[in-house]
Order: sequence, then C-alpha cells, then structure tokens
Amino acid sequence: MDTEATPAQADVSELDLVKQCQEGNLEAFDQLVSRYRNRVFGMIYNMVHNEQDAWDLAQDSFLKAWKSIGRFRGQSSFYTWIYRIVTNVTIDWLRKKQVKGFGGEFDDSIQLKEIDPASRTAPQAAALPHKRMERHEIRARIDEAIEQLSPEHRAVILMKETEDMQYHEIAEALGCSIGTVMSRLFYARKKLQSLLKDLYEDV
Amino acid sequence: MKTFEEKWTAWLDGELHGEELVAFEASLPDKAAAEAEKRGALKLGDLLKTQLQNRAMGNEEFFNHQLRERIEKETETAAPRERTGTPRALWPISRLAWVGATALAVFSICTFFVMREKAPTDQSQYLTQILNARVDPAMSPNATISMFESKEDKVTVLWVEGLQFLPAEYATK
Repeated sequence: MDTEATPAQADVSELDLVKQCQEGNLEAFDQLVSRYRNRVFGMIYNMVHNEQDAWDLAQDSFLKAWKSIGRFRGQSSFYTWIYRIVTNVTIDWLRKKQVKGFGGEFDDSIQLKEIDPASRTAPQAAALPHKRMERHEIRARIDEAIEQLSPEHRAVILMKETEDMQYHEIAEALGCSIGTVMSRLFYARKKLQSLLKDLYEDV
Repeated sequence: MKTFEEKWTAWLDGELHGEELVAFEASLPDKAAAEAEKRGALKLGDLLKTQLQNRAMGNEEFFNHQLRERIEKETETAAPRERTGTPRALWPISRLAWVGATALAVFSICTFFVMREKAPTDQSQYLTQILNARVDPAMSPNATISMFESKEDKVTVLWVEGLQFLPAEYATK
C-alpha cells in the first residue's frame, strides 16, 4: 500500500511515530495525519458522496484516533487500525442518516446527475470538456449504485476494489470474520453487477 | 467449511487453489456462465478502481491545522480533570460534608426562631376558667364551647352553645 509520505517523513518509521504520539507528541500525529489524510478522505467520500461530510468525518476519525492511540498495541498496521476507526465513524453516521432520513439536498452525486445539460441555467456544456462530463455521469451512476448498498457492504467493496486491501485486513478493519467479509463481497458485487452492467461492458 | 458465497468470492479473486479450486469448478452447473460472470466482476472492479480513486481533498494543510486546533481544545478541557483525578462536575466528599453541615445549621437556626415566634403565650384567663370548670355532661349533653382569640387586638371571644344553664362562676367579672 502506498502512502503520501515524503522522503523526509518516510525516514521516521510508522511505529516510531505511533510511539511518539502515545507520549503526547502532536507533531508526530500531524505527520501520521499527513500520510493518510487523502486516503482516509477518499475512502469516506466514496461512502458518503459529499465533500463537506467526508471532511467532517475524516476530522472526527482522526480526532478519535488521537484520543485512543494509547490503546494501539501495534498488532496490526496503523493504517488498518485507523481504517477501523474510519469505517466505524462513517458507518455510524450513515446509519443515523438513514434513520433521520436527511440527505439528498447536499449530496454531490445528486447535484451532478440532476443538472440537465440542455438547461439554460446549467453550466454550458461548451464550458466542460465532453470527456469530463462523461466521467461525471459515470461517477454519478456509480455513486447512485453504491448508495443502494448497506453501509457495511459499501465499506467492504470499497476496501477491496479501491484500496486493494486483503480479506484479513478488511476483517480487522471492520471487526468481523473473514467469512463475513467474503460473503458481503459476494452480495455487494452481485448487486453492483446488476446495476452497472451496461456501464462496465461499455467502458 | 466455506459457504458457496465465500468460495465464489475466493474464486473471483483468484484465492482458490488446488483441490478446492478443482472441486469448486466441478460443482458449477454452468461453467461458461460462471466464467462470464467472473469477467463481469473483474470489469466491475476495474471500473470502480479507475472511477473512484484519488478524490482530491483540497486544503490539506488547513485540514491538519483544523484537526490540531480541535485536539488542543480537547486537551485543554481534559487537563484539569486529569489533574484532580476526578471529574470537575463532582464535588469531593469533604466539600459535600461541609455544605451539608452548614445547611443543617442554617435550617436549625431558622426553625428555632420560627417556632419561638409561634409558641403559645399566656393562655386566656377565660379559657382557663372554662377548661377548669368543665361543662357537666349530664346537665348539658350538647354543649360546645369555641374560643376565638386575637392577641394583637387583645380580644378573646367565647362562643358557647347548648348550655342548659350558665354556672355562676362563668359570669363575667
């Protein structure tokens, strides 16, 4: 798994940084955040489809990580450990969102798919390159399909397909068995295949 | 013992090997259809990989700055609690005991003064006379005597009903 570490940062091992964090060194935590913030943000964004929510949830996740870093024993990689926090925070948020029934108004994917390119008030198609528009449409279709999955199924398929995580890493991050991960992957793939067949066959 | 879903997933991801792989492929009723579905799943994986990766965060440094501020704020609020070892919202037992004792003392003093003010003063001489004389139940079985007294105005009213006759000693002096 590649990280965002610069050569200078890479000199300090992850475990050393974690140890420094456990001693209360905020600078060390800052370095860990810099290494993983984009991947964490990207993962959350793919689950919630809204930049502001993804930003807030990434903040909450790192804050939670700082508070509980004393309990990190190094049995798994820091990356897997932080992913466990990220998925818990995001899944909880998605569940609450489903219960409250809010959302939609600020959903970026809805913004994309609801703009009629022919509309006079919409950004003119000429201003957007054709390819970009097409990519937006594909992205909106994928987001829409992912939204039909449960939070747990979303997490599993995204970790596997976009993060290239192994079954045992996903299981560790989600706090479930490998069998559960594989079973969730089976159903998530089936669902997405039925929803996006035309898309991946064309692309 | 793996379920069908687990085996299928492992097969798609190339994680099924040896005898397990042979046995699984032999168990598939339509291998051609299964292979087609596998190709579809792999294409789906590629699609997700290419379309969902690298969503740029933007303002990365501000992200760190904001997080740092939140952590520092949390640390500041948590520090006094850690120093005392008990949550700030709870009082120590010694302070609770002092507050309790003071409250009890104030209550006792107030009660003393209130009770002293309400304590009966000298009883009316008329009431004393009537109580001492007693109404003879044989002579006046339905007799009732009520007394109304206003100390401020120094007035006492005796209301007597049902007496057959008034004893001589009841006469007003």
